[in-house]
Amino acid sequence: MPREIITLQVGQCGNQIGMEFWKQLCSEHGISKDGILEDFATQGGDRKDVFFYQADDQHYIPRALLIDLEPRVINGIQNSDYRNLYNHENIFVSDHGGGAGNNWASGYHQGKNVEEDIMDMIDREADGSDSLEGFVLCHSIAGGTGSGMGSYLLETLNDRYSKKLVQTYSVFPNQMETSDVVVQPYNSLLTLKRLTLNADCVVVLDNTALNRIAVERLHLSNPTFAQTNSLVSTVMSASTTTLRYPGYMNNDLVGLLASLIPTPRCHFLMTGYTPLTVERQANVIRKTTVLDVMRRLLQAKNIMVSSYARTKDASQAKYISILNIIQGEVDPTQVHESLQRIRERKLVNFIEWGPASIQVALSRKSPYVQTAHRVSGLMLASHTSIRHLFSKCLSQYEKLRRKQAFLDNYRKFPMFADNDLSEFDESRDIIESLVDEYKACESPDYIKWGMEDPNNMLTGEGNAAGSLDPKSVV
Amino acid sequence: MDDEEEQKKLPDLVKALVHNLLSQKLPPNSPPLNPNSPEFQNSLRYAHRILSSHLTPSITPDAASIAESIKRRLATQGKSSEALSFADLYTKFASKATDVDNKWALLHLFNIISQDRKTAAKSQLDASNLLPNLTLSDNNVTRRIDNRGWNDGVLLLAKDPENRRDIAFREFVKLVKEENDVTEEAMVTDVLYACQGVDGKYVKFDSEDDCYVLLDSVRVSRSTRSMVHKLCELGVLFKKVIGYIKQSMDRFPAEDVGTVGQAFCSALQDELCEYYKLLAVLEAQSSNPVPLLCESASSRNYLSLRRLAVWVAEPIVKMRLMADLVEKCRVLRGGAMAGAIHLHARHGDPLVHEFMKRLLQRVCSPLFEMVRRWVLEGELEDIFAEFFIVGQPVKAESLWREGYRLHDAMLPSFISASLAQRILRTGKSINFLRVCCEDRGWARAATEVATDTGATARRGGFGYGETDTLESLVDEASKRIDKHLLDVIYDRYKFKEHCLAIKRYLLLGQGDFVQYLMDIVGPELSVPANTISSFKLAGLLETAIRASNAQYDDPDILDRLRVKMMPHESGDRGWDVFSLEYDARVPLDTVFTESVMARYLRIFNFLWKLKRVEHALIGAWKTMKPNCITSNSFIRLQSTVKMQLVSALRRCQVLWVEINHFISNLQYYIMFEVLEISWSNFLSEMEVAKDLDDLLAAHEKYMNSIVEKSLLGELSQSLYKSLIVIFDLILRFRSHADLLYEGIHELQARITESSLSSRDQKKTRKQLNDKSAEQGSWIADGRKALTQRAGEFLRKMEQDLDAISKEYSSLQEEFISQLPVQQHVDLKFLFFRLDFNEFYRRVVS
Repeated sequence: MPREIITLQVGQCGNQIGMEFWKQLCSEHGISKDGILEDFATQGGDRKDVFFYQADDQHYIPRALLIDLEPRVINGIQNSDYRNLYNHENIFVSDHGGGAGNNWASGYHQGKNVEEDIMDMIDREADGSDSLEGFVLCHSIAGGTGSGMGSYLLETLNDRYSKKLVQTYSVFPNQMETSDVVVQPYNSLLTLKRLTLNADCVVVLDNTALNRIAVERLHLSNPTFAQTNSLVSTVMSASTTTLRYPGYMNNDLVGLLASLIPTPRCHFLMTGYTPLTVERQANVIRKTTVLDVMRRLLQAKNIMVSSYARTKDASQAKYISILNIIQGEVDPTQVHESLQRIRERKLVNFIEWGPASIQVALSRKSPYVQTAHRVSGLMLASHTSIRHLFSKCLSQYEKLRRKQAFLDNYRKFPMFADNDLSEFDESRDIIESLVDEYKACESPDYIKWGMEDPNNMLTGEGNAAGSLDPKSVV
Repeated sequence: MDDEEEQKKLPDLVKALVHNLLSQKLPPNSPPLNPNSPEFQNSLRYAHRILSSHLTPSITPDAASIAESIKRRLATQGKSSEALSFADLYTKFASKATDVDNKWALLHLFNIISQDRKTAAKSQLDASNLLPNLTLSDNNVTRRIDNRGWNDGVLLLAKDPENRRDIAFREFVKLVKEENDVTEEAMVTDVLYACQGVDGKYVKFDSEDDCYVLLDSVRVSRSTRSMVHKLCELGVLFKKVIGYIKQSMDRFPAEDVGTVGQAFCSALQDELCEYYKLLAVLEAQSSNPVPLLCESASSRNYLSLRRLAVWVAEPIVKMRLMADLVEKCRVLRGGAMAGAIHLHARHGDPLVHEFMKRLLQRVCSPLFEMVRRWVLEGELEDIFAEFFIVGQPVKAESLWREGYRLHDAMLPSFISASLAQRILRTGKSINFLRVCCEDRGWARAATEVATDTGATARRGGFGYGETDTLESLVDEASKRIDKHLLDVIYDRYKFKEHCLAIKRYLLLGQGDFVQYLMDIVGPELSVPANTISSFKLAGLLETAIRASNAQYDDPDILDRLRVKMMPHESGDRGWDVFSLEYDARVPLDTVFTESVMARYLRIFNFLWKLKRVEHALIGAWKTMKPNCITSNSFIRLQSTVKMQLVSALRRCQVLWVEINHFISNLQYYIMFEVLEISWSNFLSEMEVAKDLDDLLAAHEKYMNSIVEKSLLGELSQSLYKSLIVIFDLILRFRSHADLLYEGIHELQARITESSLSSRDQKKTRKQLNDKSAEQGSWIADGRKALTQRAGEFLRKMEQDLDAISKEYSSLQEEFISQLPVQQHVDLKFLFFRLDFNEFYRRVVS
C-alpha cells in the first residue's frame, strides 16, 4: 500500500516538464534510463513504488500517462534515451495529430471526445495500485492541449475519483513577453476556473518568475526551455521527497497538503528553492545552515511566482501557510533555533485569523545524486500575494474581451455555440471571487467574510443566476 | 693461684712484654734492643707503674652486666637472633667453663677488642696502640682485683662475719627469705610458664579477671607481686593470640575462617616462633639460681624478675599489638579483616609500622590474588566470601545490573571506592562477555594486559603497599576489557542498529510503516480491549511490514518486532492497550530491560494516540478537501439555507485549522525537540562511552529525555491528562465533520437530481409531455421539504460544532496556559511553536 500517485502529463509543456521530472526521479532512485535498477542503488530507504511500479521483468515503470494532441514532444520522448522507461500503453497521441491550435475550447472538446480512451488508461493505472492517493497533472494553462484538455480531465477526475487527491503543477505563461499565443488570456482564465473548482492543490509555476530566476540567479542571459524546465523538475522532485523518503511525518500527499491548505479555495501554492543550480552546472560548495536556507526561502527573489503587487499591497500580503522541506545532512537541533530567529526578526508575516507557523520537514537526500550543496530547501507556501497573479490574468482577459478579439475560434465549439459566452463570464466571476477571498485572508476578520454579503458567496457562482453549473453542462 | 713460681715469673713476663713492645717500635735494621739501656729500664719502670697502679676500668666488673650490654647492643643493631645465640653461648660459657677465671674480664676484653676493631677500621690504629690497652686489662689487673677482694663481679664486701655491714645484709636476706615463701627462681619459672600460657605453681590464670595472678596464699613482697602481675600480662596476651590461632585452625575447614584469616594466623604464628625462641633462652637461664646478696652464685647468668622485665620489654609490645589485632579481628573475615589491620598500620613508631607492614603483606596476599584473578580472568575465587565483590546467581539479562556487587563491609580501606568500582566493573565485564555475549575474545585482551603490566600480573606478584601497581593493573585491564566489551556490543550485537530499529518502529520513525499499520490496525482497535485477538494483530503487523519499506530491513530486526497488548482494565478500548514490542534478547536485554521496554511501550502508546488523531484529522480533511466543496453547486438553495451552509462549513474549516495546527505542531515538537534531539545527544554520548555503564547511563538519559519532554513524566501528568481529553474531543470533532459533509453530499445529490429532473422537465415541457409536468410539481414540493430539512440539519450541525469549538478552545487555552510554567524548558519550545504567529496572545489580549 504505497499510496501511489499517478502522473498525467498533458500537452507540450506538460510532457516536457514531466519528462524532466522522471529523469530527476530516476537519477535520485538509481533507476537507469531503461527502468532497471542500477547496481549501485542498494542503499534502500527510499520508496520507489509511490511513483513507479515494478513490471514482471524487474523494470521500474513510471505511473505516468503521456497525453498530447500532437505527436512532436511525445515522439521526441519516444526517440530519446528514455524511450524504454515508459509503459507504451500509457502514451496517448490523438489520431489526427493536429493539436489543439492553442485553443482551449478545442482542447476541451477533443478531451471530451477521447474521454473514454483516456479514462480507460487512468482506470487501468488506478486498478494497478493498492491504495491510490491521487493524481498529479502537469500542464501549462496558456496553450490549447494542456489547458483545454487538462481542464476537461480535471473535471472528469473530480467526478470519477472524487475521493482522490488532484494536484496540478500548472505553468503560468510569461507575461513579460508578448506571447505567440494571442488568446493566452482566454485560455488561462478558462483553465483557472477548473483549477479553482476541480483541483485540490495547484502548484503555480510562473514562467515569468522562472525566467527571472534563470537570468538573475543563475546568470543565464537567454534561458532555454530545457533550463527553466530543469528548475521545474527540481521543484517537483523536491516537493515529493517526503513521500519518497519516509520519515516521522508528511509521508503521504494528503498529509503534506492538508496543513498547507486550510481553506478550500485558497489552494494555490507558490514555491521557492535554494540554492538554485541549472542542470549539472558546477557551483562552489557553500556551507549552508538551516537558518540560511529558511531565510533565503522567504526572499522574494527565490520564489518562483512573480510578485505583481504594488508596494502597499505587498506589505499587506500574508502567508497562510508555509512548509519548508529541507534536504541533506541537517542537524535537527538547528530547526528550533532558526524558527526563533525568523520570528525575532519578523521575517515572515502570517495571517491573523488563526494560528499558523512555519512547518519544517527534514528529508533525506538521494545518495546517488551528487550535488554541490550539502543542504537544500524547498518552500511550499500559500501566500495571499498570489492574488495579484490572478488579477493580472483577469485584467489581460478584460483587455482582450473588451475588444471582442479572437472569440470566433471559441464559438466553433459546443460550449460556446450560439454565441453563448457565459462560460467566460462565469470563469471571470469565479476568479474575481477567488481574488477577493485571498484579499479577505489578509484581514483578521476573514472568518466572517462572505457572511454579510450573500452575493459574494463561497462558490462564487450564486450571482450568475440562471446559468448552468458545470456539472449539468457535462 | 698464689703459686710461688708464678709470682716469680711475672717480672720476667713483664720484662719480655716490654721488650717485645719496644722492639716493635724500632725502625727495621737497627741494632737489637739492649735490655740494660736506660731507655729500656725506663719503659720497664713505666710498665710496672701501670700494672701496679690502682686504676680500674670505669665499669663494674660484672660479667652478667657486660653480657647484657653486648646483647642489647646486638639487639639494637637489629641482630636479635645473634643476640639470642650470644646469650645462649654466654650461658654455656658461664656454666661450663669452670676452669676459666676472670670471666667478666675476658668478656670485657672481647668487647673492647670488637669495639676497637671497629674504631681501628676507621682510624687505622696499629697494633702497638692496642697493646698497652691489652696489658691494662689483662691478667695483671685481675690479679690486683683479686687481691683486693673482688670476686666474680659480685662485691663481697666482707667475708669476715665480724663485718657489721655483712651482718646487716645477712639479716636482710634472712628477712627476705622469711618474707617470701618462694624463691625468685621459682617465681621466674612460674612467670615464664605464664608467658607460655601455662599455669605455674604459684601463678595461675584467673579467668574472672582475665589475667594471671600470684596466688594469694603465697606470701611475697608487694613489689614482687606487682612485678609478677606486670610480667604476666604477656601471658594473657599470648593466651589470647594463641587462643585465636588455635580456634581458627580448629574451625578450619569445617567453618570458614577464610584464606585471609589463615594468612593472618600463619603470620601470627611466625611472630610467635620468634617469641618461643626467646622463651627457650630465658628458660635456660632461669634454671640458674638467683644469688641473694649474701650468697655467692654458682652461676653468674641467672634470671631475676627484673632481668626478665628487660627481656620481655620488646616482645610485650608486639604481643600487645597482636592481641589487639586478634581482638579486633575475632569477628572479622576477609577484606574486612585486612581493612581492620590496615587501620593499625598507620603508626608513627617505626617498629610497629614495620611489624604491621610485614603482617599485612602476608594477610593481604590472598586478597590481592583474588583481585588479580577477578580482573584478568573474571573468576570469583572466593569460597569463604571474603572478597569485596560478591556474585549471585541471576538470569543473564540482569547479570550486569544485579549479578555482582560491592560488599562494602569487605572492602579494605586501602582500596578506594572508585578503584573498587573499577575492579568490580572489569570482572563484571569479563563475566558479561562470557555469559551473555558468549565471547572468548576477552581472554586475548586480558593476556595483553598481563604482558603489558609485566611481572606484577603474575600470581602473588604484588601485594599490600603497592596500591599504585594494583591501580595501574586495574586501569589497564578495565580499559582493554571495556573496549572489547563495547566492540562486541556494537559490532557483533549491533547495538546501534537495534536502537535505531526501536526508534523507527517503537518511536514511529518509519513513517510509511506506521501509516499502514494505522490504516489496517486502526479499525480493529475500536472494540473493547478484551475482545481483540492479538494473533490477528500480529498478522496485520506482518502485513504492514510487507507493505512498507520495513520489508527491506534486516530480518533479524523484523523478527524481534511484536504486537503487545498492555495490561488492560475493563472498559479499555483497543487503542488504550495496543502497543508494539521489541525483543532485545541477550545480551542487549541488559540495556533494554523489562522496565525500559515498559517505558518504550508507554511512549509508543502516546505517539500512537497522537498519530491516530493526526490520521483522523487528515481523514477529515480528505472529506472536506477543496474540490469536494468548491465544485459543488448550491445555487438552487434558498439564500438563508445557503448562508447556513456557508457558515457551517466555515466554522468547521476554521476549527479544523486550529486543531490541525495544534496537532501538527505538537508532532513537529515531538519530532524535532524530543525525538531527534534526544537521539542525536544519545548518538554523541554513545561515541564517547567508555564502558557498558556509560552506555547504560547514556541510554537512560535518552529515555528520560523522551519521557520528560513528551509530557509522560511525573511533573507533566496534568498536562498529559488534558492532552488526552483534547485528543478525545478531536476524535469527536472528526465524526461530526464527517456527519456534516455526509449531509452536504446527500443534499448535493438531491439537488443534482432535482436539477436534472427540472432540466428534463424543461425538455418535456417543450415536448408538451403532461406526465412530466406532474412530476415537476412533485419535485417542487420536494424541494421545499428538502430546503427545510437541510436548514434544520445545518442548524443542528452548527450548534454541535459551536459546542465542540467552545470546548476545544477552553481545553486548549488551559493546556497552553500550563506550558510556560512547566519545569522542563523544552516545553516552552512547544508553546513557542503553538503560538508562532502570536495568534493566541492576540486572542487573550
